[in-house]
Amino acid sequence: MTLANNTLRTLAAFCLCWLLVAGASAQTIKMPPHEKIVLKNGLTVLLLEKHGVPIVSFAALIKSGAAADPVGQEGLASQTAELLRKGTKKRSAQQFAADLDYIGGSFESGASADFSTISAEFLTKNLNTGLELFADALLQPTFPQEEVDKSLAQSLDAVKGAKDDPRQVLNAYYDAYLYGGKGYGRAPEGDEISLKKITHDSIVKFYAANYAPGNTILAISGEFNAAELRKKLEETLGAWPAKPVTPVAIPAVGPAKGKRLLLVDKPDATQTYFAIGNVETATGDPDRVGIRVVNTIFGGRFTSMLNEALRVESGLTYGVRSSFDPRKQPGPFGIYTFTKNDSTVQAMDMALEVLHKLRKDGITAEQLASAKSYIKGQFPPTIETSQALAQRIASDEFYGLDDNEVNQLEARIDAVTLETARQIIQKHFPEENLVFVLIGKAAAIAPAVTKYAGKQDAREISAPGFWPGS
Amino acid sequence: MKKVFRGSLPGMVLGILLASGVTLRAQEPQFPVATKTLKNGMKVLVQPDHSIPNVALYIFYRVGSRNERPGTTGLSHFFEHMMFNGAKKYGPGDLDKVMEANGASNNAYTSRDVTVYQDWFPRSTMPLIFDIEADRIENLSFDPAKIKSEREVVASERRLSVDNDNGGILDEQLWATAFIAHTYQWPVLGWTSDIEHWTMEDLKHHFAMGYSPSNATMVVVGDVSPEEVFKLCEQDIEPIASHAPPPPVTTVEPEQLGERRLVVHKPSELPLLLIGYHVPQTNSPDFYALNILRTVLFQGESSRMYQRLVDKDQIALDVSSESDPGFDPTLVIVIAQPKQNVDPQTCEKDIYEELERAKSAPISDQELEKAKNIRWMEFYQQMRTINGRANTIGTYEVFFGDYNKLFDAAKNYGAVTKEDVQRVAKEYFGANNRTVATLLPENEGQEKQ
Repeated sequence: MTLANNTLRTLAAFCLCWLLVAGASAQTIKMPPHEKIVLKNGLTVLLLEKHGVPIVSFAALIKSGAAADPVGQEGLASQTAELLRKGTKKRSAQQFAADLDYIGGSFESGASADFSTISAEFLTKNLNTGLELFADALLQPTFPQEEVDKSLAQSLDAVKGAKDDPRQVLNAYYDAYLYGGKGYGRAPEGDEISLKKITHDSIVKFYAANYAPGNTILAISGEFNAAELRKKLEETLGAWPAKPVTPVAIPAVGPAKGKRLLLVDKPDATQTYFAIGNVETATGDPDRVGIRVVNTIFGGRFTSMLNEALRVESGLTYGVRSSFDPRKQPGPFGIYTFTKNDSTVQAMDMALEVLHKLRKDGITAEQLASAKSYIKGQFPPTIETSQALAQRIASDEFYGLDDNEVNQLEARIDAVTLETARQIIQKHFPEENLVFVLIGKAAAIAPAVTKYAGKQDAREISAPGFWPGS
Repeated sequence: MKKVFRGSLPGMVLGILLASGVTLRAQEPQFPVATKTLKNGMKVLVQPDHSIPNVALYIFYRVGSRNERPGTTGLSHFFEHMMFNGAKKYGPGDLDKVMEANGASNNAYTSRDVTVYQDWFPRSTMPLIFDIEADRIENLSFDPAKIKSEREVVASERRLSVDNDNGGILDEQLWATAFIAHTYQWPVLGWTSDIEHWTMEDLKHHFAMGYSPSNATMVVVGDVSPEEVFKLCEQDIEPIASHAPPPPVTTVEPEQLGERRLVVHKPSELPLLLIGYHVPQTNSPDFYALNILRTVLFQGESSRMYQRLVDKDQIALDVSSESDPGFDPTLVIVIAQPKQNVDPQTCEKDIYEELERAKSAPISDQELEKAKNIRWMEFYQQMRTINGRANTIGTYEVFFGDYNKLFDAAKNYGAVTKEDVQRVAKEYFGANNRTVATLLPENEGQEKQ
């Protein structure tokens, strides 16, 4: 973190000059309004008309996700969602694919920890056909045994294949170890052990227990006439029989105490991939905007403190970032990067030094102003498309958030002061209690990394699963 | 009728036709693109869209790894990194800091054919962006300390996307085998020994060769007026002198006379299969028929290859195809991810049988219609953001020689017949024209053979 003084002065001059210009003409971004309807059967429908592009985007959210998987059957919510289109009362899997592709439509489904989702898009001219396909998969899946077998076999190989690229599995190992294989530590996609325990019967039961109008939010955005669409929705999805659903209880887990480290051995790795962090914050945390501002400075953009140190100034890595993944209950915070085998300790030390510096010195007024400008300037494209808008309003509805997340964003960003930043750093950027996960060549790095934590764990990447629950 | 035109796209013209239920074949989407060629030869294209208060600015330089030579492979890509590491007015580290402090972000990509710089920013930051772009086009500096650390960054990028990535390593081997004469044969990232050895002189030579304003095209899409963009261009970009463009790449890849095969042995859970077929350059008339063929074969779960390999025979997790735009004859690459313990040759057999089927009989009317509908949806998905539109307008302008070709795409796809599709299947997807690359897992305790 050494910049020549003259560079700093030059920089300050530029910033001042341009910030004035930016401030003078900044436009406030607003969410386009949407309509909320609750159908008689309890289905929550959100409609947001957005004209200009003849596409209609669907985002359905079923309020039961991977956290609802029975222990030992991780991946069940994902399998259920993925199989919706693989055979219905009206169509075989092949017929569904043929009808969907014929109109150039898309239909993708899956599950994350908190909920299951379906994303679909159709051209406006095909909205009727698209809605009929969407309703067919959501309301009338039959889960043919043959399709269940195919899907499970493919998913099992997909988990193994992902382990060929540490990038794809670092988060899975990190979450598993961080949460001790429980709660958010259970893999949403399942693993080599749990996928073998999932049966046709358990999928049918998961669907019956969780897919119900009262447990579903459907957001639709794009080019359509809301009054007409509302009528069509009542005719189709309105016919979905209401039934009670037991809400999924996700136990809150606090931050891990002390320090522990998991080294996953991948003998052929030429670089080490690592994550460092702890359990942190939930969606709706009152500190969320402040956390976003501070994390932008710490590890959320190219000129972040972490990337300046580990990439720009030292060339230790192609990139490093830090992120918070807030969920219904506190989700993970982590520093994520990779470096060649023999610079593993150097890179880890440097990441920890940057974290220490953040906690010790805090941030400067200049960094704060820069991060505020950056977040505001980069925000509008994140709600540019009907797809992004549909996903956003569905997710906000689920988490009990509203349009003020967008409409008040600039005001909330402006309200973050150096003092609030200081409090947020002390509260949300842990240093004493840390969990480390490394994927790399153990023979090259194991002895050197024992210094980071009192408790050491190790496993082979070829060993089934990520980290066992107990 | 539509509401007031907010620049949000072909929707204005096409939406009306769509709403009336007409199947789209040959309508031509239009939206206003203003163009200007600066006195130094740089062409500028502007497409105003006021739906969000932001701007996407792309600069395409017609220089990539095809303009390199053995010994300095990867230089274009390395140079792309150096374009962020300091010029005269904005020294090392300043460019990113100043941009981000003003709400802007940036990135860049390098291919075999082009190097493309991307800026995304709130409209009020535009004068700053022009100041920065002009500075680095005209006065890039070469700080030895930055060169040293950036070499390490690129080495890390290579470890990430080649050494520790089965797809990356196999793709590199495939191109190196499919091309024996043309400069497409080496990887965009460069060979490791070249990354370690190029010199300051090599970098300066590359800048002088590839970065003449006349060798670049700028595309600006978003909350701007053409007038204000052109004014900034005249002020900041036009005074920069042009010089000679890169020497033409004259080597023509000779016709492939027989199948080529290669194997990579690597510790791995799953095998991998890539098959490359030589096809003409992007601006060839066969571009549209080839894309329709690829859509019928590979796109969606109803596609022939998915139905055969993934759904029916259940020997693959996924099968797809890709083909990057190219100035010169390039490759269509078939990618199959076999399931664990499946011999990739089993996948090959299925793929060849499906290709034979496409050669021996025309696709159905329904498949042709489906492929056009899928292409149509993709078109809207690409064009619905200011970023996607800037990239697409620039890609058409650079690779087809005229952005207006974008508006002809619907017409050109509409004109493709079943017979055209059958003809390109026969012409390009023969055994003699293919290179087969296989990655075979070689795990502890297993024999090499």
